[in-house]
Amino acid sequence: MTNRATAAVELQAVTRRYGTGESAVTALDRVDARFEPGSFTAVMGPSGSGKSTLLHCAAGLDRADAGRVVIDGVPLDGLSERNLTRLRRTRVGFVFQSFNLIPALTAAQNVALPLRLAGRRPAAGEVSSVLAEVGLGDRAGHRPSELSGGQQQRVAIARALVTRPAVLFADEPTGALDATSGKEVLRLLRTAVDRHGQTIVMVTHDPLAAAHADRVLFLADGRVVDELTGPVDAELVAVHTARLEAARTVGA
Amino acid sequence: MSAAWAMVRHRFASFAGTFVAVVLGVAVLAGSASLYLSSQPQAPARYDAAPILIQPAMAGTNDYGEEERPAWPASEATGLANRLATLPGVAAAVPDPVFYVQRLSGGKATGDPEAARADGHAWSSARLGGYRLTAGRAPESRDEVALSGADPGTRIEVLTASGPETWTVSGTVDGPGFYLADSEALRRAPGVPVIGLTVSGDEARVADAARALIGPAGTVRTGAERDLLEANHVTRIRWIGAQLLIALVTLSAFATVFVVSSTCALSAAQRRRELGLLRAVGATPGQVRRQMYAETTLIALLGGLVGAPLGAAAAPLLAGPMVDTGLEPAGFTVTWQPAAVFGAALLGVLVALCGVAVAARRASRVPPLDALREAAVDPRAMTRSRWVLGVLGAVAGAGLLAAMPSLPVSAQSSAGLGAAMLLITAATLLSPVLIVPLVRVVAWPVRHTATGQLVREGTLTGVRRVAATAAPVLATVGITVLLTGTIATIEEAAGIDAAAEFSTGSLLVPDGTPGLSAAAVAAQPGESRLETRVLITHQDGITGFEAAGVAGSGSGAVLRDDTATELGARAGSTLTVRWADGTTSETRVRAVDPDAQATVVFPAELVRAHDPQALTAMVLLDGEPTAAPGARAMPVGDFVREEIGEEGQLVDLFLWALIGLTAGYTGIAVGNTLLMATAARRSEFRALRLAGAGTGQVLRVVSAESLLAVAVGAVLGGTVAGISLLGVRASVESELDHSIALVIPWGAGLAVTAGCVAVAVVAAAVPVLRRR
Repeated sequence: MTNRATAAVELQAVTRRYGTGESAVTALDRVDARFEPGSFTAVMGPSGSGKSTLLHCAAGLDRADAGRVVIDGVPLDGLSERNLTRLRRTRVGFVFQSFNLIPALTAAQNVALPLRLAGRRPAAGEVSSVLAEVGLGDRAGHRPSELSGGQQQRVAIARALVTRPAVLFADEPTGALDATSGKEVLRLLRTAVDRHGQTIVMVTHDPLAAAHADRVLFLADGRVVDELTGPVDAELVAVHTARLEAARTVGA
Repeated sequence: MSAAWAMVRHRFASFAGTFVAVVLGVAVLAGSASLYLSSQPQAPARYDAAPILIQPAMAGTNDYGEEERPAWPASEATGLANRLATLPGVAAAVPDPVFYVQRLSGGKATGDPEAARADGHAWSSARLGGYRLTAGRAPESRDEVALSGADPGTRIEVLTASGPETWTVSGTVDGPGFYLADSEALRRAPGVPVIGLTVSGDEARVADAARALIGPAGTVRTGAERDLLEANHVTRIRWIGAQLLIALVTLSAFATVFVVSSTCALSAAQRRRELGLLRAVGATPGQVRRQMYAETTLIALLGGLVGAPLGAAAAPLLAGPMVDTGLEPAGFTVTWQPAAVFGAALLGVLVALCGVAVAARRASRVPPLDALREAAVDPRAMTRSRWVLGVLGAVAGAGLLAAMPSLPVSAQSSAGLGAAMLLITAATLLSPVLIVPLVRVVAWPVRHTATGQLVREGTLTGVRRVAATAAPVLATVGITVLLTGTIATIEEAAGIDAAAEFSTGSLLVPDGTPGLSAAAVAAQPGESRLETRVLITHQDGITGFEAAGVAGSGSGAVLRDDTATELGARAGSTLTVRWADGTTSETRVRAVDPDAQATVVFPAELVRAHDPQALTAMVLLDGEPTAAPGARAMPVGDFVREEIGEEGQLVDLFLWALIGLTAGYTGIAVGNTLLMATAARRSEFRALRLAGAGTGQVLRVVSAESLLAVAVGAVLGGTVAGISLLGVRASVESELDHSIALVIPWGAGLAVTAGCVAVAVVAAAVPVLRRR
């Protein structure tokens, strides 16, 4: 399915505006971006720079006003709500800042949910092996309220990975966690990329988190303003961020 | 389905309202349907030993579309019976003439007056019920009788159509009824309505032979068809009971849909984030919708599982009270009705699914991004459809009220109710708009206290919640005030109206009897009318009429103008009349009179000659009355009050049953809304406590908020009902041509409101107290 010419996700001149008339805000301004299969990209930027909007549009959670989003070779424009949902279900995984597990379901049931929604019965061991991968093999029967924040986030990652999606989007996945749990979660994401060639796009404002990625995109005022590639270290990211902040302050 | 089950188990609290509503709905449904299905027509017990019954041929229909089967004259019936008796397999063919007998005890008539109309029989018909003599011998001479509960040789006092009589008991029977010698019974009865067959051979073959012999002269009834011979007054009682049961079932079905839909809407609003999340992890809108349907189906099945047995168990307990209040015939028992029980459970699921439909549609449109939004902003309370429907309802309701006096009288009462329902619905739809100014006014005096401020702002920002609480209160208070007020106003007007109809000051009326006997009437000075039924042939067929016999009215018939129009007759035409005794004669129309005392009026002697069983409803006295058994004299006013009172009792019974049910559902709706809404606001209350409020203060805020919501609902409901009542009064006034007092049922309205307040305060306080 995926060949060398096909990106996991591609944004072509994507524009997203909120509101109308005088109060209209352009959250994304003709953004082009390409995420290759097996890459781990961090998207950074000050608050209000449009990084969350970029994630939502790239994932098909939000619709672009102009431009085009292509996930795994499938353009999203013109897809019905139902077909869009189906595409998300099979090709896209999500990890949110606030875990967003269904409180009524156990860890295992939460992980199996995308499969069941797709009308598929999880194969024997399919769910437990994914849970074991995130280190929660012994917590399958627990409900979210019985798990710590770090454990809940790992269940969320297991749920995002269980469908073997073309791309996994993570929105501040460590934002609500302490440093140790956060590091654990980032390590898990890195492992998914290294071991299974998982594509990951992660929005964060934490340079330490961004340091786990292969590439960092910097956003400001709805545009991609800078990019770091190759092995990135936290210090370099921090320096870039500071420079961007400074440029913005001067510009304003 | 397993996800639905997990969801239901996890958040049972938010499904509690649906559950309770379905339990109540299914219980009412199962109970009412059990009663309804148990109340089937049944052939009188005195035909128990006669598997084949034969009725005279159908001659036409009456105004209600019921069959008219004029009786066979005695001679014709006897001839038919003799020929039937010769058929192979027939043990006996017995004509069954019936007549009116009531036992007198100390000069007072005893027993059920309506049943007494058919308590007199011919001795040979005792075998149709399988009744036998246990002592003495069969009656032979004119004044001999066989009956149960009296020893041979005793003399008994009875009242018949001709007057008080004394009979000698010749034998004791093991079944109910008064049995006279056959010739005597045939002489008294106006004709023979039934011939019964007891058989010794194959029932079906005998029935076929009887059909062949009778031909078009009669109808042979076997098996379940025999039950069509149920006595009219029994059918009427069951009909009244059925009306109440149907009303209860309809109301509870609607109320269940209403409660389920409001509960589901609220819980869907509260679960918005969760539903968005489901969408984000890959649930299509259809899957979200199906998820909600599945949850509701589960809850409704559980509710049915509890409610159906509850209703089935309650039904037998209601049989006694229903017989006592005249809603079911004596001897009515409730039998196990699987169709009622399972049908009710199934209908409960259907009704709940109707209720969840709108909420599910809205929920399926929740965008996946909502999973990521933290803020619980109260979504806009007024949608465009609410505005459109609300304004349309208000306009239509007001228009209908304004147009009411010009509508035909028969359509007015339903137009009034319809207008009120429209206005109540409109007020419910528009309540979010009305709540804001209303709350500002009500909370004005306390605006500077902390509680006052919190309540005011909490209410103004949570308009949706307040509207959800106020809506059921509005509907219940509105319906209660409207129904009780309408009936009280009309009863008040009817009292004036009915009293005005009679000229003389006193009446002689039946006293525990179906009518006045000939002897009782003959002794009185005054005007009376003898009541009978006749069948009159006209160009479109044969129609039955309630006719009257009036003394000294001259020969020939007098028709009321509408009767004349229906028959196509005028003064001088000749009518072909078939009488109660089965004979037919030609009668000339003497006059057409719009003020005639009945639809058709004949000379009293003519009626008496053809219907020895005719009774008189009342005598308008123009002198001192003479005492007679089974009759009493009373002033017109007292009689009218008594009649209205009796009718009023039945109306009140219906009214309170319906209002009670409505109030019950309101309790569920209000309680559930507040329980869920308060539980969802826990974090808000935690913040309030952190800011220094004690539990008492939080409770005060919560109680005041719910009180305010109930008050808003009650005020709106009362106002709408008041407006409708004014319309009802205007139309009654224009009909009666004089002004009448508007009766506003403050007591009923306040009682219902107080009930809502109690439920609201408790439901709002429980979640606050439960988790500190």
